[in-house]
Amino acid sequence: MLDAPIRSVAVVGGGIVGWSAAVALRRRVPRLEVTILASPPAPDALADRMPQTLPSTIGFHDDLGLREEDAVVRAGGAWRLGTLFEGWVEGLPPYVHAYGSYGRPFGTASFHQHWVRAAHVGAAAPFDSHAPAAALARAGRLGTGATDPLLGDVQPGLVLDVERYRAMLAAFARHLGVGVREGTVAAVQLRGDDGFVERLVLDDGTTLKADLYVDASGPAAMVRGAIDQEREDWSAWLRCDRLVIGEGAPEPLSPLDRVTATDGGWRWRSAAPGRTLHGHCYAVAALSDAAVRDALAVAGATTVAAPVSFRQGTRPAPWARNCVAVGDAATVIEPLDFTNLHLAQSAIDRIVAMLPGRACHPLELADYNRQASAEVTRVRDFVLCHYATARRPGPFWQPPTHLPESLDRTLRLFAERGRLPFFEEETFARDDWLALLLGQGVVPRRVDPLIDVTAAADSDRAMAAYRVAIAQAVARCPTADEYLATARKRLAR
Amino acid sequence: MERAERQRVVVVGGGTSGWMTAAALAKLLPRRCTVDLVESEAIGIIGVGEATLPHIRAFNERLGIAEAEFMAATRATFKLGIEFRDWARIGDSYIHPFGTFGRGTGEVQFHHYYMRLLHAGVALPPIEAFSMACSLARANRFGAPAADPRQIASTFGYAYQFDAVAFAPYLRRLAEGLGARRTEGRIVDVARDPLSGDVTAVVLEDGRRVAGDLFVDCSGFVALLIGKAMGEPFDDWSRWLPADRAVAMPCRTATAVTPYTSAIAMPSGWRWRIPLQHRTGNGYVFASDFLDEGAAADALVAAVEGTPLAEPRVLRFKAGRRARSWVNNVVAIGLASGFLEPLESTSLYLVQQAITALVELFPERRIAAADRNEFNRLVAMEYDRVRDFLILHYHATQRDDSPFWEYVRTMEIPASLAEKMALFRRRGRVVKYRQGAFLDASWVSVYLGQRVLPDGHDPRADGPTIDSLAAGMERLRGEIEAAIGGMADHRDFLAGYCPMPVAA
Repeated sequence: MLDAPIRSVAVVGGGIVGWSAAVALRRRVPRLEVTILASPPAPDALADRMPQTLPSTIGFHDDLGLREEDAVVRAGGAWRLGTLFEGWVEGLPPYVHAYGSYGRPFGTASFHQHWVRAAHVGAAAPFDSHAPAAALARAGRLGTGATDPLLGDVQPGLVLDVERYRAMLAAFARHLGVGVREGTVAAVQLRGDDGFVERLVLDDGTTLKADLYVDASGPAAMVRGAIDQEREDWSAWLRCDRLVIGEGAPEPLSPLDRVTATDGGWRWRSAAPGRTLHGHCYAVAALSDAAVRDALAVAGATTVAAPVSFRQGTRPAPWARNCVAVGDAATVIEPLDFTNLHLAQSAIDRIVAMLPGRACHPLELADYNRQASAEVTRVRDFVLCHYATARRPGPFWQPPTHLPESLDRTLRLFAERGRLPFFEEETFARDDWLALLLGQGVVPRRVDPLIDVTAAADSDRAMAAYRVAIAQAVARCPTADEYLATARKRLAR
Repeated sequence: MERAERQRVVVVGGGTSGWMTAAALAKLLPRRCTVDLVESEAIGIIGVGEATLPHIRAFNERLGIAEAEFMAATRATFKLGIEFRDWARIGDSYIHPFGTFGRGTGEVQFHHYYMRLLHAGVALPPIEAFSMACSLARANRFGAPAADPRQIASTFGYAYQFDAVAFAPYLRRLAEGLGARRTEGRIVDVARDPLSGDVTAVVLEDGRRVAGDLFVDCSGFVALLIGKAMGEPFDDWSRWLPADRAVAMPCRTATAVTPYTSAIAMPSGWRWRIPLQHRTGNGYVFASDFLDEGAAADALVAAVEGTPLAEPRVLRFKAGRRARSWVNNVVAIGLASGFLEPLESTSLYLVQQAITALVELFPERRIAAADRNEFNRLVAMEYDRVRDFLILHYHATQRDDSPFWEYVRTMEIPASLAEKMALFRRRGRVVKYRQGAFLDASWVSVYLGQRVLPDGHDPRADGPTIDSLAAGMERLRGEIEAAIGGMADHRDFLAGYCPMPVAA
């Protein structure tokens, strides 16, 4: 006899992760009763705090039926196309990791092999100059396939106004009939027989009870942590453990964030509507809080929040019994490449798609945890790859001696012949890895033999022609400020 | 690049896999390697009529093979899926389609809606009625899939059923045209470098040596290089896949030229039926522990339709794969690398995947461990995923009418498969992979076709009302019927598109 369906869910945590979970479960699973305990988000819950998102957030909105006008324009957001990485490899110019294709295929080999062959003889233009999204971002412009078909696979991410975005989600949740409770968790009561979460006791003495608990309470994992504390620690690989966020005066909008390597960490800067976002992520052993505060001031930050500490790592089993952790309760990772909200939303999608019955059968949870781990592992690899291939002085920047097997294999195969092994549940596509690896100067030792049938001169001509086509398409696009102004005008009508 | 700088690739064995390898290397890496293929006319090829998967089309396209010409030369027919008869119970029949159930586009897989209606007591035809590929196959018709994804006729793919005995010569002409050289002769010895253990040459009966840098072992079951010379161990899977013999016999095509292959369960195994333009391939795959060869041949002769064109011929094999398919400078492709019975037409698929991996990981003269390891990982994964899928066919049965079916029904199965089945039985979840031969719809078709029915379904399928779901299913049926109505009878389509040469 199959266990009964889950009828009620309690989401714990009132940051954007918790509200996203509440909205998605209520909206996408029929007849599910959803209650959120909207405790204020913890300062160290990075997925609840970071404003920059990957393109997957727009897909998440689409699945909820959230329109761009509401989720982005009215909520004070804007679009971002990628990140400029500077100073990660000494002696190399900055490079752009943008969201869309790098190069277009011709001949029998993949595009990057043409580029690698040219790079071997020192004749290659920057790899990112073959990416429409990167060229748009560098030019400070925004465009879509409607402007030029060449821009058809440009996929913007977002810069959120986190507070207004949270308010938008909360209003949407209430509209959908999500029950809202205020307060915080004072105690978690487990059932005697099977250790399932029986009920939550809140700080005001009232209780909250559901078939399933979604823990979006941040690294403290108020509910999931009551079941076990198993954790895979990444701090030997990912050494940053401190974050400071600040804001400065507005600048012209740009869809290109800037991420600059510094002694002991890295610093970001993103132009948002009405302000400029600043932040610094670092290892406190290598860089002092005071030095960071000064550096942010020099960069133009006028208000700076208190530093928060974190320790990077993940729960190998985010789902145990009738509790599943999302966001920082599941995985704490530094915001390099801005994967925090992506991982949270992807976990929410997976909960919706794999919802078990009330018994939370171990097989169903194992399948969920397998997929979740596979995804998180490769996001960690991608973030770690920045450090593994960086070249800067100082102990902080010395690459770790033993890399995880999956990243080690990726780097070996790529360095040998420019091939990237396939992994299930991979977040970053081949072109993202190429942007990072080639941008950081990891040029494969060999050129793919499949390229032989195309003459080098033909490759060079095709690459040059593509760069010209990109430049022409970019020139037709509006600036980021014009683009946002047009979107706002559409609202006003 | 001068010829002398190119690596000398020696392909050992000239069956389908040997010539597929030679043609692909000659076509795709003309400046990187020279290709010598050694075969002996005295040694026959296994080719017994080949049923393929849709992936073969990409392979042919990459080699520049024109479809109609290729189909005419190999007397090929179209294939929309595989019909399984008598597997869960005698009298059952289902088709594993090359296509989706429903449109295959929604957030929730079609079979969840289907199961919801069944659970609600709504009477429905078998799920294949909601598959364009299955319905087209049952109607014995064929037409090219539509390019517009909004049309129901875009939801299927196709493969070929062709004469393997004609395919090898076809590829040979192609490969030789691209510069591959053929050496006739029987290999009697393998010369190896005493230090590295690499193969340096193969020695022929008349004393000639064919030297090379990289050796591709396509010698079939004998595994001349990977097995005999290199001694790479073979992982034996016969405890799960006990069939170890096949008896094959072609017949004149008397009945319908079906656009699908049939796999009909038999008391000690199963029987294939592969309709080509000029004849029908038949064979009985059986386990010698349960049936002797003579009795199997008798059973096959009694079962086939049409006039036999040859005496029954026996093939012997064992299910499993080499621990590694690439060792030193020897790469095994095809039967030398591993064997899985042709129940899901995976033989050439596995050959093709290995060739693709070899081309993409083509080594330098000094072979990098990274290349070899990646190749072995990819090949092993393909075999392992197919293995579980095949075991499912045997294990998911209610038959207890013979010792063979008693055995496979009650045998212990790999944990990886047991978990997949248990997950499906609960809520119809299909373990999700993006890589591998068989994706969601394939698993669903076999589960449901073999009476592995889920107790529940995805809760999201509870969204629409029963009435609106039932009406949606009805509309889908209508669309499928209308699309099929516009397509030709399979044999007529072949006659217009790729008729075999009259003299054949």
